[in-house]
Amino acid sequence: MAVQSDIIDGAGPYDRAKALSAFKLGDVTFYWITRLSAISVLLILGGIIISLIVGAFPAMREYGLSFLWTQRWAPSADPPVLGALGPMYGTLVTSFIAMLIAIPVGLGIAIFLTELCPQWLRRPIGMAIELLAGIPSIIYGMWGFFVLGPFLANTFQPFMIKVFDGVPVLGAIFAGPPSYLSTFNAALILAIMVLPFITSISVDVFKTVPPVLKEAAYGVGCTTWEVVRSVVIPYTRVGIIGGVMLALGRALGETMAVTFIIGNSFRISSSIFAPGTTISAAIASEFAESDGLHQSGLILLGLLLFVLTFFVLAAARLMLMRLDKKAGN
Amino acid sequence: MSEMSVSVSAPTVHPGSQPLPEAPPKVTARNLNFYYGEHHALKNINLTLGTNRVTAFIGPSGCGKSTLLRIFNRMYDLYPGQRASGQLMLDQTNILDPRLDLNLLRARVGMVFQKPTPFPMTIYENIAFGIRLYEKISKSEMDDRVEKALRGGALWNEVKDKLNASGLSLSGGQQQRLCIARTVAVRPEVILFDEPCSALDPISTAKVEELIQELSENYTIAIVTHNMQQAARVSDKTAFMYLGELIEFDDTSKIFTSPTDRRTQDYITGRFG
Repeated sequence: MAVQSDIIDGAGPYDRAKALSAFKLGDVTFYWITRLSAISVLLILGGIIISLIVGAFPAMREYGLSFLWTQRWAPSADPPVLGALGPMYGTLVTSFIAMLIAIPVGLGIAIFLTELCPQWLRRPIGMAIELLAGIPSIIYGMWGFFVLGPFLANTFQPFMIKVFDGVPVLGAIFAGPPSYLSTFNAALILAIMVLPFITSISVDVFKTVPPVLKEAAYGVGCTTWEVVRSVVIPYTRVGIIGGVMLALGRALGETMAVTFIIGNSFRISSSIFAPGTTISAAIASEFAESDGLHQSGLILLGLLLFVLTFFVLAAARLMLMRLDKKAGN
Repeated sequence: MSEMSVSVSAPTVHPGSQPLPEAPPKVTARNLNFYYGEHHALKNINLTLGTNRVTAFIGPSGCGKSTLLRIFNRMYDLYPGQRASGQLMLDQTNILDPRLDLNLLRARVGMVFQKPTPFPMTIYENIAFGIRLYEKISKSEMDDRVEKALRGGALWNEVKDKLNASGLSLSGGQQQRLCIARTVAVRPEVILFDEPCSALDPISTAKVEELIQELSENYTIAIVTHNMQQAARVSDKTAFMYLGELIEFDDTSKIFTSPTDRRTQDYITGRFG
């Protein structure tokens, strides 16, 4: 306090005003720098959308809405026939299967780490999860191509095909022949890739549950499972869904690993053991040698992925709001 | 320490808490010791909680009263490195038996915490949740039980029109009564209160105290409190603890009017703590 009053005593009102005006300039600069940073996000986003639309325009004009439900993809035909149904289907199915696997496993790991794991094991497992997130996707792709693919084709796939042979619906989903390159293999790789997202975010939000709330649940006689199911998960569901959304966003857009192992077939098969393709895999494998209408079609695919991701995330938000209502908030 | 400033003289004892006849023992501790790792937190505790009596535990912070309470339902078991030795009986059951089913023990020994801890679900579900852990009953029976429990928690009239609202939407005092109702719903034999009013305003506190008095007709109650007036108002017996030892344990009226030990005298008159 004494220092401050010295300054005020030593300076007349005029000097003080001058000093203030210097600060004001700094303040204005600061305001504009932050504001421009924020606006640049919108500009970049808008720019990307506009250039996607411009690039996709020839294909949009040529195919119109039928692009969405045409399965045939024949860029070398004359005129080229392009349809997005195959890649869209592949994108949704691989992401769906990946989440089906990754959510329970990821949550399971998080629950084990926070509620059950002995202290000495916590760090090694936590670090392994972090490392899993750090592996570049091309490595996952190679590993999936050389190790996981052959392994699944020789063991898991024949087993499932045999078990569900003749069962309605499931028989069609798990239909042969086994393949190194398949929608299921890609989905499994995706599941492994998004696992760290779900686990590390869940661990973080599980740690926010007040110990006394857990004690209260144990206090009415809950088992660990009941505490997790009825208290920990409901208490943290917003955070968990946030983590799942992040993971889903990555699964929808993941390119390199999927391109390696999905087989790049535009034909839609009911079997998840058949090759397929995703939007990003189709773009990655064809963009370099495309031109004209073909290239425009690929850009239109990119635009579709953009819209698809937006809708999936919006749906997740909507689900969250519903959940909140049901819980009485 | 605002509650200390009023206790220059020993608090007056509630006329209702005249010494009652000795009740049959519900919980009995014999040479009970407790350790946080190396730290010897409770030393040779011997005491008895009488059936359907209210026993208050008072003493300065860190004296071990909450620790003692957390042994009664083995809450300490959640944390590695904490252990108890000696003997602690609930009727004929040895509470410290490592093979004891903790879920069943906690159904018999309920607990209400310092802070209200409603579960993240509706008011109705907060009550029904505990009941469902032990009983399979029909919807209409459940409705009855929930109503009974909420009446037991003196909360029914305030929430009967919004049973589907979140438990977290209630005020602090209501939340605490919800937690009491939740505890009562499981039909325990003993209820442990760990400073149940320290986060509540005076009016809510009065309601909870009144509730504790009513509950003592059917339940054996142990309450930890920093507020000596509260101990004097609600309890039949009072235990004064200091540095992990049980210094004095007697009828509440005796503790607050003519304590035997010098330290008890000093504490209740506000000379330390």
